[in-house]
Amino acid sequence: MTAAVLPLPAVDDAPRAVPLYRLLGAELRWVLRRPRTLVMLGLFALVPVLISVGVALAEAGPGEGLIGAVAGNGLMLPVVAITLSLALLLPLAVAMAAADAIAGEAAHGTLRGLLLAPVGRLRLVGMKAFGVLVVATLAVLALAVMGVLSGLIVVGRAEGQLVTLSGTAVGPGDALGRISLVVLWTIGQLAAVGAVALAVSALTEHPSVVIASVLGGLIVFGVLSAIPALGWLEPYLLTTGWTAGVDVVRDPMPAAGLVESSLRALCYVTVGTGLTVYRMLRRDA
Amino acid sequence: MTTMPSVDAAPAPAGAAPVAGFAARAIGLRKVFGHTVAVDGIDLDVPAGAVLGMLGPNGSGKTTLIRMLLGLTRPTAGAAELLGQPVPDGTDRALPHVGALVEGPGFHPFLSGRENLRRAATMEPLLGRREIPDAVDVALERVGLSAAADRRFRGYSLGMKQRLGLAAVLLLPRRLVVLDEPTNGLDPAGTRDVRRIIAELHAAGTTVIVSSHLLAEVEATCTHVVVLQAGSLVAAGELHTLLAAGTTGLVITTPDVDLALRALRGAGATAYRAERTSSEEQAVVVADDGPPAPELIALLVGEGVAVHEARRSRTNLEELFARLTEDPS
Repeated sequence: MTAAVLPLPAVDDAPRAVPLYRLLGAELRWVLRRPRTLVMLGLFALVPVLISVGVALAEAGPGEGLIGAVAGNGLMLPVVAITLSLALLLPLAVAMAAADAIAGEAAHGTLRGLLLAPVGRLRLVGMKAFGVLVVATLAVLALAVMGVLSGLIVVGRAEGQLVTLSGTAVGPGDALGRISLVVLWTIGQLAAVGAVALAVSALTEHPSVVIASVLGGLIVFGVLSAIPALGWLEPYLLTTGWTAGVDVVRDPMPAAGLVESSLRALCYVTVGTGLTVYRMLRRDA
Repeated sequence: MTTMPSVDAAPAPAGAAPVAGFAARAIGLRKVFGHTVAVDGIDLDVPAGAVLGMLGPNGSGKTTLIRMLLGLTRPTAGAAELLGQPVPDGTDRALPHVGALVEGPGFHPFLSGRENLRRAATMEPLLGRREIPDAVDVALERVGLSAAADRRFRGYSLGMKQRLGLAAVLLLPRRLVVLDEPTNGLDPAGTRDVRRIIAELHAAGTTVIVSSHLLAEVEATCTHVVVLQAGSLVAAGELHTLLAAGTTGLVITTPDVDLALRALRGAGATAYRAERTSSEEQAVVVADDGPPAPELIALLVGEGVAVHEARRSRTNLEELFARLTEDPS
């Protein structure tokens, strides 16, 4: 061929990948530009507000159970809102983010574009895991921040203190520390959900399959743990430790449940990430 | 397949050619999905700087071949090379220099065309952060999407989506551009634009691989052609060589067919009545083994035959394609 050749960079010397921060920045932007992410975060912000209004409208005096513990005890609200949401809403949000992350990109044909750019397959998993973790963190923070605000404004507080489930009172600094702890612990549990959801997402190009798998999984876990004969399964079920969140509002704080459930979540994260990487290194796009 | 149908017309032996001289190579590429053989052992060398048209009926393996060359699909057997780099181990070196539009444009519906393109540009290793806005604007301009750039992708027409896919390919100068059915959904103006873009890429020294079912497009823009049929290459070579091989003689348009046939046969030429179904004009076809064309025409004019037109019959790509890919039964 005799065609004129542009001074293109030599194949061997040219950059082979964009810096990681650029990938993460692009993913952050993409996640936050997605309308459903914003709607979802808005709904999470509403959850504590609704609970606080409900508590304020209810008959005065301490009621039954967790919700009852919020009455006149505003700093309890974020912990309660997070614990209640962890049962279904938060895993649903994480499953949605994970579904969009890989299966959704594949469905839109954009996964191909990412691989051709090229974003290395391993870096792609890192970038997507980051995006899911961002959504999980923002959802929990929305619950916590709006929980504290509406707890203090709508419910009111007992002299700026948090009355624990054990009946003792702790100061506002200690209370915020306990709320931060439950936030971190919840993000850890959601990371476990997200890792498994990403693995499913890497296996399919139908986002709905991811959401159905995660919700189906949660329901199956719930059923399994309700069957006494299958009690030996409990240590392996992620959901077993999900009641440990409220341990932060006991005095003294029992650490065993929080630690054990966090370790269990770590196992799920490891397995889920491993499966995702294994699958993404081989996936056709 | 044991032979190596190289589309490189140079007489260099296949193994001795420098690897860097090929923009892409397929070495015995084979892909089996379940019981279906999608690509059946294809050997192909795409010389740097060529515009290779990839033709074949639906399901002939064009897209699968392209996907294996780009490392999107793992071959069942065989190997591929992209810009001299092995696929998939060296694709991180090769792919930054490759622009590809495969199986339709893939973009996010909730982002505008410009935002989609910016996201694509962010992933390009050869584009610096500061260069991205300009690169996006220039690419949008080149495909004629500037006016619609800030509308959401969701609202784009099929043709606009296809144009945006082309814009992503054109974000930066490439060594190799792969376009899989780039004219899908485009209006005639869009088809002309694609032809112009391919010509510009060719002039800039970029190798282009374009698969298309629009044969006229391939004929207008390509230097080389491969024809796939049921996962195998049935023809490969330079466009003009392939077309010249299909030459069938001299076509003389005349109303006096019988007179002309008598005169021509009398002069020792192999002549017969041309089959014409679509035109009312009658013609005779003279094979090339007789006297040269000027003598034949002088003879006919001397015999009083009204010669309206005389031209060399060259198969166009459509006839070649039909001959190569149609089931003989």
